[in-house]
Amino acid sequence: MTALGNTRLAFIETLIELAEQDPKTVLVCADSVLVVKGKEFARRFPDRFIDVGIAEQNAVNCAAGLAACGLVPYVATYAGFLTMRACEQVRTFVAYPGLNVKLIGANGGISAGEREGVTHQFFEDLGILRTIPGITVVVPADDIQVRQAARALHKLRGPAYLRIGSGRDPRADCQDIPFELGKIRILAEYGKDVVLFTNGFVVNRALQAAERLAREGIRAVVADVHTLKPLDVHGIVSLLKQTGAAVTVEDHNIIGGLGSAVAECSAEECPVPVKRVGLPDCYPRSGTPEALLDYYHIGINDIVEAARAVVRKKKT
Amino acid sequence: MQNRIQELEEIARQIRIDILTMIYKAGDGHPGASLSVTDLITALYFEVMNIDPANPQKPDRDRFILSKGHACPALYAALARRGFFSRDELPGLRSLNSMLQGHPDMNKTPGIDSTSGSLGNGISIGLGMVLAARLTGYDYYTYVITGDGELQEGVVWEAATAAAKYKAGRLIVLVDNNGLQSSGPVEEVSGLYPILPKWEAFGWHCQEIDGHSFEQILPALQKARDCTDRPSLILAHTVKGCGVPFMIGDNSWHKRVPTAEEYQQAMRILGGPCS
Repeated sequence: MTALGNTRLAFIETLIELAEQDPKTVLVCADSVLVVKGKEFARRFPDRFIDVGIAEQNAVNCAAGLAACGLVPYVATYAGFLTMRACEQVRTFVAYPGLNVKLIGANGGISAGEREGVTHQFFEDLGILRTIPGITVVVPADDIQVRQAARALHKLRGPAYLRIGSGRDPRADCQDIPFELGKIRILAEYGKDVVLFTNGFVVNRALQAAERLAREGIRAVVADVHTLKPLDVHGIVSLLKQTGAAVTVEDHNIIGGLGSAVAECSAEECPVPVKRVGLPDCYPRSGTPEALLDYYHIGINDIVEAARAVVRKKKT
Repeated sequence: MQNRIQELEEIARQIRIDILTMIYKAGDGHPGASLSVTDLITALYFEVMNIDPANPQKPDRDRFILSKGHACPALYAALARRGFFSRDELPGLRSLNSMLQGHPDMNKTPGIDSTSGSLGNGISIGLGMVLAARLTGYDYYTYVITGDGELQEGVVWEAATAAAKYKAGRLIVLVDNNGLQSSGPVEEVSGLYPILPKWEAFGWHCQEIDGHSFEQILPALQKARDCTDRPSLILAHTVKGCGVPFMIGDNSWHKRVPTAEEYQQAMRILGGPCS
């Protein structure tokens, strides 16, 4: 049984810590204070808590105005309402002018949808943001990495997106491996038969798949691509060259996210067999997180099967 | 006062000449809206706003957002005449190596406080700037000029409610109410009217003026500035193409470049150079 962490709480606790150190830190919500566990922030820093109501476009624009005047606003609400409803505001008024606005998207992925169904499951956020120039995109593996990422992003001057989950998010158990923004992390290395690139709240599944693969003689290396943009092209290509076969594992549509990013790298720099494990470009449904991931082919079996397939392909 | 008004009218006349010359030389742009906002922008930049062309980023300056970014030739002409950059930049409008983008860009043009041009967004960005003033201890004003057609965007009303909640005095919105939008008269395109009762109902301090009369613009701006416990809206009735009679009532001038003959005709009317 995988241990669970709480990425929402991890974010807000880190934000409170940052707000204590930096008086420019502001939390902007769109009736999302409960979603992001922001009550304590609002109690501690009432002047620096802004809630514009259920109005994400307004929230992002207000943040742009705040940032243009030197503050560091964090807009925190559901991932899809930020990246889809307020997409244009993110692009034109935050990313284009390069303003120092941080966007925090909850319910990232199908597993973090809290059984609410498609309206609250967000599996397009990363693909959308990856096409917008000038924005840093981070997909943490678990609550511990959320803390590390939030601290790193606060130091970064410029627009950034941080994906968080439902609050019941599987632990990847890799906190001892140092986190550096923009650099992949090697989480496990059984050998160089195949590389599993992964991020988000399915990193634990990629690690379990690698363990199972090792038992059947396929030695995998597992790489955490937590920073999807800017992509660590050098690190990815290096692993592609060393292994000659890759599988991507993500809780996102297989179009636009990690799978696409790795496939683009591979096609341009090091063509090798690649298989993408993720939501197979369809609408999911309500369900518990683990059951959903298995049902939509993001199961440990799916990862193992994909790894076997690319290794076979490499040999022929 | 009367002398000052005559001076402002003279500046506005020169800005109208600059606008048409820019658009004529660039071969692109939106003359109709640029001419309808000219007097409002002249009042703000030459009489009302606390700004310093030598220090365009000074933290306590008043902010301005041209939400209807397509009217930027008027803003560029005002900024150049106010000394934010050389008037030699003006003919570069919309060309590859120019600092003057097709719509305002806060990183490319000195004096521009917010990128704009995607309609409807200026008021909410302005609200952010007003809230920022509270947190940073400044008492600057934030002015936003929006079109009337632009008020059809939903985010406008998101900002209207949030600004009311935050009692955002020092947020002053001027509606360039020229009655026309890209595809025709505002009243035919949407069910927007009446405008003023809606903002009054949202708790805003509201006024209605002739947007081409400095005798009305200046006192209205003063009243709006005096009202610091809630946001202000000034519905300024304007005429698209104001100053150039043959452009008035012809909405093809929303986005159209004058021919050489039309340009010379406009210059004769405005008293500008004819080449």
